[in-house]
Amino acid sequence: MTKPEQHKRRSQGFTLLEVIVALAITGFILGSLFTLVAGSKQVTWRAEDSLLRATRIRAATNFALLHNEFDEVEEILVNDDYRIEALERVEPPARKTQPQIMALQNYQIVNDERQEQYTASRWIQLYVRE
Amino acid sequence: MFVNKPDRLNGFTLIEVILALALTTLLLGLLSTGVYIVAEDWNRNTDVLDESLDEALVVLQVDRALHGVLAHSYTNLQTLSRQIYFIGEDDELSFVSTVSPQREAGLTAWNLSNDAEGVYVKLVPAYADNPQERLDDSEGTLLLPNYSVEFRYLYEDAAESHQWIDEWRGEELQQLPFAIYVRFEPDDNDDEVLEIVAPIKAYRHRQITPNSGRIQSL
Repeated sequence: MTKPEQHKRRSQGFTLLEVIVALAITGFILGSLFTLVAGSKQVTWRAEDSLLRATRIRAATNFALLHNEFDEVEEILVNDDYRIEALERVEPPARKTQPQIMALQNYQIVNDERQEQYTASRWIQLYVRE
Repeated sequence: MFVNKPDRLNGFTLIEVILALALTTLLLGLLSTGVYIVAEDWNRNTDVLDESLDEALVVLQVDRALHGVLAHSYTNLQTLSRQIYFIGEDDELSFVSTVSPQREAGLTAWNLSNDAEGVYVKLVPAYADNPQERLDDSEGTLLLPNYSVEFRYLYEDAAESHQWIDEWRGEELQQLPFAIYVRFEPDDNDDEVLEIVAPIKAYRHRQITPNSGRIQSL
């Protein structure tokens, strides 16, 4: 006698609660799937961006280091995200055995947008040009 | 009442089954579209990443090769003079480098040039002779698709000022440039310009006395 009673209750359809739970689970799975998409996109963009920045910093550094041998070099880099700025000279040693022809100079490569700064030093010529 | 009830309880009605199937299809459809979109997007992203990684590797490899440029010299059989192999134009460059991408021992002659599809590279081993002929015969490889390349060479004039010029012929100047600048320009504006500056170390600027062969033969 109890069996038909149960059957009757169960066969009337889904309860609201069941439907909501099912929808919630679907929504949850879809949501996590699309988070994956967004995540992989972001990772791609970031990786691309950092590869590009690495090549730019490399070019800027190499250009700055041309001053190791030459004192005035015509500007050529098209991309100006990374500016090269000359800083102060490093203190010369107190005691010298020879007259100095080269000096160490600090320089920095600055990116204003990302607020990045890389500081390093290079050699510069000390002779005076007419 | 009692006769009717067992009838209704015997199973689902057609409408219920259809509804259930419809709902199931809908849910499955939603889920599989989701999975499909994710998989597609993942593929596309990894492709994009692969491409930009390739670009970065190309830039790094060319950078390394240019840093390792050598004043490779050969005997010109007509004039019997020693000549430096370095032919630089604004859109093509041939040089000999100590760096080879296959990590082969010995020197490698490189040629970078533009084509309709992109930037091509040719690589041959450099022996004691002029590598030009072997470079001409060899098959090029597409290095950077949808890019074109431009070169500039650092030149020091008599007033010791340094300028970038767009041609450098090693066999006439008998010297290497002080630095090489490479710019890879993309065909469409969405991509970024890639740049390389490669200084050539002073000890590599080996100068060769012009026509020493002829002088010795006199």
